[in-house]
Amino acid sequence: MAAMVSTAAPSVAALSPGRVALRRTLRHGSFWAGGGILLVILLAAILAPLLTPHDPTWQDLGKRLVPPVWDTRGSWEHPLGTDQLGRDYLARLIYGGRISLLIGFVTVLISGAIGTALGVAAGYWGGRVDLLINFILTIRLTLPVVLVALVVVALVGNSLTILMLVIGLLLWDRFTIVTRSATQQMASREFIVAAQAIGSSTGRILLKEILPNITGPLIVVASVELAHAILLEAALSFLGLGVQPPLFTWGLMIAEAKNQLFFRPWLIAIPGAALVALIFAINLLGDAVRDVTAPEGRA
Amino acid sequence: MLRFIAQRLLVTALVIAVTSVVAFSLVHLTGDPAVAMAGENASPEDVEAIRKLYGFDRPIWEQYLTWVARFIAGDFGRSHYLKLGVGEVLAEHIPVTAMLGVLALGFALALSIPLGVVAALRPNTMIDRLALWIAVAGQALPSFLFALGLIYVFGVLLRWLPVSGDTTWRHFILPSVALGYYATPAIMRLTRSGMMETLQSDHVRTARAFGLSRWRVVVRHGLRHAIIPVVSLAAVQLGFMLGGSIVIETVFSLKGLGYLAWQSIQRADIEVIQAILLVIAAAYAVLTLVADILNAALDPRIRIG
Amino acid sequence: MTAPPLLEVRGLRVEIPLPGGTTRPVRRVDFSVAAGETLAIVGESGCGKSLTSLAIMGLLPRAARLTAEAIALGGRSLLGLSEAAWRRLRGERIAMIFQDPMTALDPCYRIGDQMTEVLRQHRPVSAEAARRRALELLGRVGISSPEQRLTQFPHQLSGGLRQRVMIAMALLCEPELIIADEPTTALDVTIQAQILHLLAEIQRDTGIGLILISHDLGVVAGVAHRIAVMYGGEIVEIGERDAILGKPLHPYTEGLMRSIPVPGETRRGETLGFIPGTVSRQAGELTRCGFIDRCPYANARSAAGAVPLSPAPDGRLVRCVLPLDGSGRDAGAWTRLVEGV
Repeated sequence: MAAMVSTAAPSVAALSPGRVALRRTLRHGSFWAGGGILLVILLAAILAPLLTPHDPTWQDLGKRLVPPVWDTRGSWEHPLGTDQLGRDYLARLIYGGRISLLIGFVTVLISGAIGTALGVAAGYWGGRVDLLINFILTIRLTLPVVLVALVVVALVGNSLTILMLVIGLLLWDRFTIVTRSATQQMASREFIVAAQAIGSSTGRILLKEILPNITGPLIVVASVELAHAILLEAALSFLGLGVQPPLFTWGLMIAEAKNQLFFRPWLIAIPGAALVALIFAINLLGDAVRDVTAPEGRA
Repeated sequence: MLRFIAQRLLVTALVIAVTSVVAFSLVHLTGDPAVAMAGENASPEDVEAIRKLYGFDRPIWEQYLTWVARFIAGDFGRSHYLKLGVGEVLAEHIPVTAMLGVLALGFALALSIPLGVVAALRPNTMIDRLALWIAVAGQALPSFLFALGLIYVFGVLLRWLPVSGDTTWRHFILPSVALGYYATPAIMRLTRSGMMETLQSDHVRTARAFGLSRWRVVVRHGLRHAIIPVVSLAAVQLGFMLGGSIVIETVFSLKGLGYLAWQSIQRADIEVIQAILLVIAAAYAVLTLVADILNAALDPRIRIG
Repeated sequence: MTAPPLLEVRGLRVEIPLPGGTTRPVRRVDFSVAAGETLAIVGESGCGKSLTSLAIMGLLPRAARLTAEAIALGGRSLLGLSEAAWRRLRGERIAMIFQDPMTALDPCYRIGDQMTEVLRQHRPVSAEAARRRALELLGRVGISSPEQRLTQFPHQLSGGLRQRVMIAMALLCEPELIIADEPTTALDVTIQAQILHLLAEIQRDTGIGLILISHDLGVVAGVAHRIAVMYGGEIVEIGERDAILGKPLHPYTEGLMRSIPVPGETRRGETLGFIPGTVSRQAGELTRCGFIDRCPYANARSAAGAVPLSPAPDGRLVRCVLPLDGSGRDAGAWTRLVEGV
């Protein structure tokens, strides 16, 4: 008697893919490490007035270049010392994070909006639209970002708004690339074809079917570009064409302390460490999300 | 193959052409170039004089075409500040940047490729994790910060290397490291994943089955295949470095293209700025083209098809 | 048999530890190959035949665990050898030919370079001498205009030619044993016969031992001296070719035979036999016959316990609970099995 080979798999109550992803994210070490650091920085920036009694822009010219508390000449009154103009460094560190983060988030929103719009359009409609957008992308990639940013800021003006606009208008390339390929993969799937067949409007399809399904890669790219934007702002400020006093970011603090490298390296090391920690945290978070949503992409 | 090259050449030419329009527009449409060049203390007559001298009063498309025509003929414009031909000025500064770029790339390759290969040979061991950590750390460190750090350690503490100027080859060591390390994570990751894949392939299995030595298996039959995408990536990274050299050159006082760009921006030396923008963009476009061709030339399967 | 066998394999077992548990793709394999003899190992994919050959060559994937009582080549044990010792053996005393010659040869290097590389790895010969030897062997395997072939890349040769090149490479250092893993599967039917014929001819001339691995009994029937049939990670029947093909004793071998069209006997339009079902994995040690799920003669004894290899009257070994003289089989059982699907 031939035995029937059993092929039926037991049925399991399936969790929605979103919940599965969320669960896996919460178990991921990098998520907690990166998220933790980022949270600390965010909270510090938001709660700044509670964390230090000093005004970061107030200059006490009698107390310039006081070393941090771990040096013999330091004191707890200025735990991280003071800079060339007598401003409390801890206060400047904490408040400095505000503008860096603000710039980062706003520019990511701008570049994300532009890039996603272009990428989804290219991926969904394909054909000539795709060719055109690809060409625009190539042009954008050919231009040296730092140089262009410098030129525009130098010629147009240096306000915070202009700075954010310029960076936002320059860093959309990776958004486009990623959302384009993600959309291409989505567009041929059955439920999209079905939605088209029943006559759903294009806008509806894009909004309700495609967009929710590309959030995974989108978040990963957003984290990469957030780091990118913050680094670009830091570089611009370092060169003197980023934020202008009285505004300040960590990049500007490093620029101002450039001449002190030999004698008072802590003036550079402290905001430098904060910058590195921020970028590191963002990268860790991005890695965690990528591992959860697309582990095959992992190097 | 020839058709392939011809096609890519055409696209590259088109890209450079459009980029030139963008570069030109950036400089001429974001403000009044005559005002910028004249400076803060200039009188309206000075501004008008500059406007006439450089033809800024002509229609914009006419200015663009004139610029392009002259460029192709070899006249790259005139530096308002230095009172020299832009071509001359560029010629003085390009070698430094080219040297810096090549050395930086060399450093990145010398560090990342062996690291990537070793990590692929021993996945999930200490050395693999170390390589991945170096990659992550590399991406989190801004280049100017790294540059300052290098100066402090090697210039101040240890006093091994010079930190300013560009007279000897030693002057290029720290700048090359500072510029090149940023490409390290990407190259290392690509080498690692490419090697891991190649080591599973049939022809590597054959090489091992015939008793070939470790080196021959890993390098001649493994790396030879895995390195192909890395070559393209390296060419593209070189392009990035050329554009990003401005920070490094300023920190280390290297008189290269980036340094020149920086000074020209501060001096509103319009003709120089737009020439540099175009040169760097064109270099990047050509490097991408070279990368594509290399990719095709090295991969035997593409060569035939 | 007074001379020791060329290759002796006893108690070979391969396990792969996985997160879900350990699988055992090769449960236990014992066989030997004499010089000048061709042993065919036949079985469907997943039966463990390829892993067995990789185990003999020391080429198992890193994750796999090999245990064996003995694996010996010419009396010398191959167990626990260092990588350096393996590199001296592979290509020199024991050589392997793989299934797909397109991917097995490196597409970036010329044929000549790949061949001389192998030869010079094992012998201290000059480049010129290596080249001459390569030419000699290309001629030996029946490749015309060998000088031209030496300078060509693999993609410039047809599948059949590439496989001949692989055979030539295997012969470079005059090995004692060649293992050919599905050497003809990727080739046209007409070329298949040529390649097998070539292998048989080389064996006659050089007296090497040859292990032919295939999923197709019909392919190896013409050249094998002895046949080993594998199923579910173990050998279920092993013996002289004529005996097995003339009267297969193990039901699986019977099934394999029924699925081969016989020129002159199989009528046009007749359905070829097949064995319903697929290989099922039994975890852990076997507690009953491994073939029970697909066997037309399965009975209570098949489920009673693991079935050992037992000698049949004509000297072959069979792993079956049925009488080994061929009796006790219901003639219509296969038809009922096939039609019942």
